[in-house]
Amino acid sequence: MQGIIENLVAELTRLPGIGRKTAQRLAFFILSMPDAEALSLARAIGAVKEKARFCGRCFNITEQEVCEICSDDTRDRDRICVVEEPSTIQVMERVKGLHCLYHVLLGALSPIDGITPERLKIGELVNRVRNNGVTEVIIATNPNTKGEITAQYIKEVLSPFPVKVTRIAYGLPMGSDIEFADEVTLGKALEGRREL
Amino acid sequence: MLRRTEGIVLKTFPFGEADLIVTFLTGSYGIVKTFAKSPRKTRSRFGSSLEPLTHSKISFWGREDAALPRLTQADIIHPFDTIRSGLQCFLKASEVLELTLIFMPERDACAGVYGLLVSTLHAMEADCGAGLRVLHYKLKLLDSVGYLPRLKGCGRCGGDSESFHLSQGSVVCDACSKGSAVTFRLSPGVISLASNLLVWDTAKIQRIKPADGLVMELSRLLDEHVKYVTERELKTRAFRG
Repeated sequence: MQGIIENLVAELTRLPGIGRKTAQRLAFFILSMPDAEALSLARAIGAVKEKARFCGRCFNITEQEVCEICSDDTRDRDRICVVEEPSTIQVMERVKGLHCLYHVLLGALSPIDGITPERLKIGELVNRVRNNGVTEVIIATNPNTKGEITAQYIKEVLSPFPVKVTRIAYGLPMGSDIEFADEVTLGKALEGRREL
Repeated sequence: MLRRTEGIVLKTFPFGEADLIVTFLTGSYGIVKTFAKSPRKTRSRFGSSLEPLTHSKISFWGREDAALPRLTQADIIHPFDTIRSGLQCFLKASEVLELTLIFMPERDACAGVYGLLVSTLHAMEADCGAGLRVLHYKLKLLDSVGYLPRLKGCGRCGGDSESFHLSQGSVVCDACSKGSAVTFRLSPGVISLASNLLVWDTAKIQRIKPADGLVMELSRLLDEHVKYVTERELKTRAFRG
């Protein structure tokens, strides 16, 4: 018995942000769950690993060959929003008015970690722009150094094509006070100011 | 114990949901790895102070021997954001950061290297095009940490030689080399360029315009030397095309 619980604790500690104490708490919670709920959790994990795969066009996570977004004919197919991870698509989808296609890079360039363009899905993005008559590429990589460098690299590789490359704006988060902003964020917000 | 110092962010590593492990080169403690709580959230008090290259005043909390003290404050002194906003310039700066991470030991202060890094970044910000900056930094860093290749005088007898042997980290004369293979035949210009770079300070580098061939020769020699010493290729080399 001790061995089975110990094994579950060890497996749970593999998850990000889960230490041994939390893993023990989760293991005993799973033990106290009704059989049906615990088995449903186990089946859900199994199903994700069995069926989830990357979309053949945009590299979002899907169960089919092509994801729901790429197969949706009502979407604006002239615009592609580029994101680092599939999880960002869910956040972008909450934005009203953006009803375009996506492209997931599966990471961001990082010279110091040896993450080169070949390790990301940048070549596939170039192919989509070349073959599908895309008119705008919106780069929504994270507003940090890796995201910015990735955005600049994409701009460079897309420069031979007749496509507008845009970058999401930098600035202050809604609901915050200017006095707490650092000079770089504030500088970027001023750079991107617009006429009212 | 709360410690305060100045430092430059060399590298960040995402941890958990929104946390970061931030590696600084500090003036007082050498390389320090710290744990920062939630800087990746949009309303984090750290703002952009933990982006690579940022020069900040930092405070961190933990036992003296704690492997990962907690970062409590980071106030920007100079962001070096203009280096980050240019792809080519950032690639050069990344090589500088990678070399520092490889050669500088943790928790071993070296004010010379810290000062050299700060002045190199300021110089890169002013004029990133000067090709000698990374070479200059590389030579001075290797000198500070004791891995500088010996380019003048045989490493065994002190006699004249222009045959550099990677395995010896030095030029070795024919009599002392005992038939071992020469890795590089150094041109006199390279030897003098390397010795000049070691004595010139960062601010004067932009005035020097050596022949491209000499710069390439010295660059290739140092790359191979670093590879031999560290037993691996620099990760940033993959970006040099």
